[in-house]
Amino acid sequence: MSSSDKSPAESQGAAPTPAAVASVHAVPRAAQQTLSLPPVEDARRQPAASGIERKLWLGVHLPKLSLEALCRRNETAAWAVFDEQRGMRRILDANAHARAAGIVAGLSINAALSLSPALNLAARSPSREALVMNRLAVWAAQFTSLVSIESRDVLLLEIAGSLRLFDGIPSIRQQVGRGLEEKGLTAMVAIAPTPLASVWLAKSGRGQCIDDPARLAGSLGPVPLNRLDWPDSVVELLRGMGVTTIGDCLRLPRQGFARRCGARFLNELDRALGRLPDPRESHRAPERFCAECELDEEESDRELLLPVCRELLQKLERFLRTRQIQIQRVKFSFFHLQTQVTHLTLGCVQAGQSIEHWFDLLRIKLDRIELAAPVIAICLKGGPSQPSSTATGSLLLDGSGRSKTNAASITSLIERLSARMGDAAVHGVVTIAEHRPQRAWRPARLLDEAPRCATSSGFWNEREMPGLLNEIQRTNSLLLRRPLWLLDVPEPLATKDNRPLYHGQLSLVNGPERLESGWWDDEGIARDYFVARSEDGLHVWVYRDRGSSAWYLHGIFG
Amino acid sequence: MDDPIEKLLKNPRVWRGRSAAPGWQGLASGYPRLDRYLPGGGWPPHALTEILLAEHGAGELELLMPALARMSRAADDGDAAGWIAWIAPPFHPYPPALVQWGIDLSRVLIVRPKTATEALWAAEQALSSGNCRAVLLWSDALDSATSRRLQLAAERGRSWAVAFRPLDAQSEATAAALRIRLTNSREGTELSILKSRGGRPATLRNVVRDSGVG
Repeated sequence: MSSSDKSPAESQGAAPTPAAVASVHAVPRAAQQTLSLPPVEDARRQPAASGIERKLWLGVHLPKLSLEALCRRNETAAWAVFDEQRGMRRILDANAHARAAGIVAGLSINAALSLSPALNLAARSPSREALVMNRLAVWAAQFTSLVSIESRDVLLLEIAGSLRLFDGIPSIRQQVGRGLEEKGLTAMVAIAPTPLASVWLAKSGRGQCIDDPARLAGSLGPVPLNRLDWPDSVVELLRGMGVTTIGDCLRLPRQGFARRCGARFLNELDRALGRLPDPRESHRAPERFCAECELDEEESDRELLLPVCRELLQKLERFLRTRQIQIQRVKFSFFHLQTQVTHLTLGCVQAGQSIEHWFDLLRIKLDRIELAAPVIAICLKGGPSQPSSTATGSLLLDGSGRSKTNAASITSLIERLSARMGDAAVHGVVTIAEHRPQRAWRPARLLDEAPRCATSSGFWNEREMPGLLNEIQRTNSLLLRRPLWLLDVPEPLATKDNRPLYHGQLSLVNGPERLESGWWDDEGIARDYFVARSEDGLHVWVYRDRGSSAWYLHGIFG
Repeated sequence: MDDPIEKLLKNPRVWRGRSAAPGWQGLASGYPRLDRYLPGGGWPPHALTEILLAEHGAGELELLMPALARMSRAADDGDAAGWIAWIAPPFHPYPPALVQWGIDLSRVLIVRPKTATEALWAAEQALSSGNCRAVLLWSDALDSATSRRLQLAAERGRSWAVAFRPLDAQSEATAAALRIRLTNSREGTELSILKSRGGRPATLRNVVRDSGVG
């Protein structure tokens, strides 16, 4: 495309504002000769310009995404989404019912609640919005092979290649629009030869459709700058100069515009007008692993099923390694001819374990489940993936490095144990600063590393002050002897002559230690604890309930 | 060669207690009187120790506590695998008391299997994993075959296995390197070394709680 056949097309396309378009091109041309700023050279423009002829972008803007990600559009109650800005919670968006009650964006939530006490409020959820966008991108892949999530609330579809299949621009646009409508999303759709132009047109709220690159500048001209996601400071600066639309910007000298506002924005304008190439990356749906293996004949021997499972796991490992991802969950499905499928889910705490680890877990679990019938096929599915992280080892063999490798292997032991016996059967312990013996400890999950130190010893770090703490513990142990065995539920003891019986008559050797605590909840205690010795020499921890005067066995000095 | 006595002594089934010098440095039990009777000067480190009890609470835990405390603390000094696994304990090991004895709670692993078979399996796993310095197992289901497995697992994982068994297991054969019986009476506790690889049987009184409580 040479400049001679371009001019008539331009003046034709920009018929409404011929003067504006003329100046748009006049300015850069003049600038190119004299300026050192990023000039758009003819050689670079040509491929971009020829690219424009092939591409057509459909931009979808979801102006009410923050609200629609959280509540359905046909909701009958009043709903509003709020956002926290500079410590103030302000309404971001409200649905029709709320708007009817006078709720508008920018209201503080207190004001909104006083206007409409029945208002349902939800905090904006970026993760939900991202989820909606991802789902939308997967859905949009039916129209084109190139779908790109442009920003938080904008989706781009490259439709030039799909026009014939979908019967032209109006038809594809209608289908996309209908789909979005069915999904309950308010959307603005615009079509333009460059991605940025379609985004800006969609955001400006004019659902334009431009398939001729020559008409681009003219159509973008009236788009107000405050719709472009440009920083407020730039928009304000330009507004001060009386520049409020893209058309106004294009009339400015390139060099001056770049110097005042930053070369980035000049670059954006060039890309929107197709003077610079503006490639987009295609959205890729997260991949899940799924592999199946059919057996030659029905098989019920687990030992013979295992090699097949191992093969599947090896496939999984190759899949993960080539994609640099890792997973924490896999699911085996064993298919039978007559009966329902048997599912077996394996999980592990540390993603990125080798297949040996998965295989170990599988072997343990497979031993424990009932296979209702012989197996005819096995299917392995991987759970959601995450990018794999490989920790960089320490150069020096210091203590921390070694304890890390040790922690990794104790993890695999704990996982193996809990795979067979259930998570609740394998645990650690922590102490709690609490006087009631029953509550002075609790089981702790072993695989979350953080809480152990924090809870085990109040406000100071045990590792920092071992000496002091040991000293305190030693003093404690002299003062208050505690049994190594604690009974789950205190065992009532029979009495004879007001003295408790356990393996004969108990003689109280130490005590009483009065514990009276917990009146603030329903498990208050008032007890006198004694160390006692039985006739056959056992040392036990007993108490007398001060309310009922009954004796109980609570612990044994093992 | 023809000497029938020589022939007999070459039979692997004949165990000659006195000649076998202890090939290990024992884990000091924290009770010097007991250490004197144990070959290597302490608990056999990578082997199975059996403790036979009539009743829980005969001082069996206090007997082990000093050694266990040192093990769990040793983890801080760079000894990596300082975990102590408690498998199928009859009651709750009471954490405040463990802390009083100097056990590092972050190295305590408690396993509560539902069946005796699971308990043995868990003990074998923990022993052979190489992460646990000590594995304590409470089981009535141990026999000579399973004790042999535990003994092998302890050697493999270089871990100290302690099995608590009821008193009537005394008549059964065992592969344990050390077998101890703890009994209580009005006079105090009595500790009998019934079998000791490289050592000889002995009976001690009031090893634990000799200072008394009251």
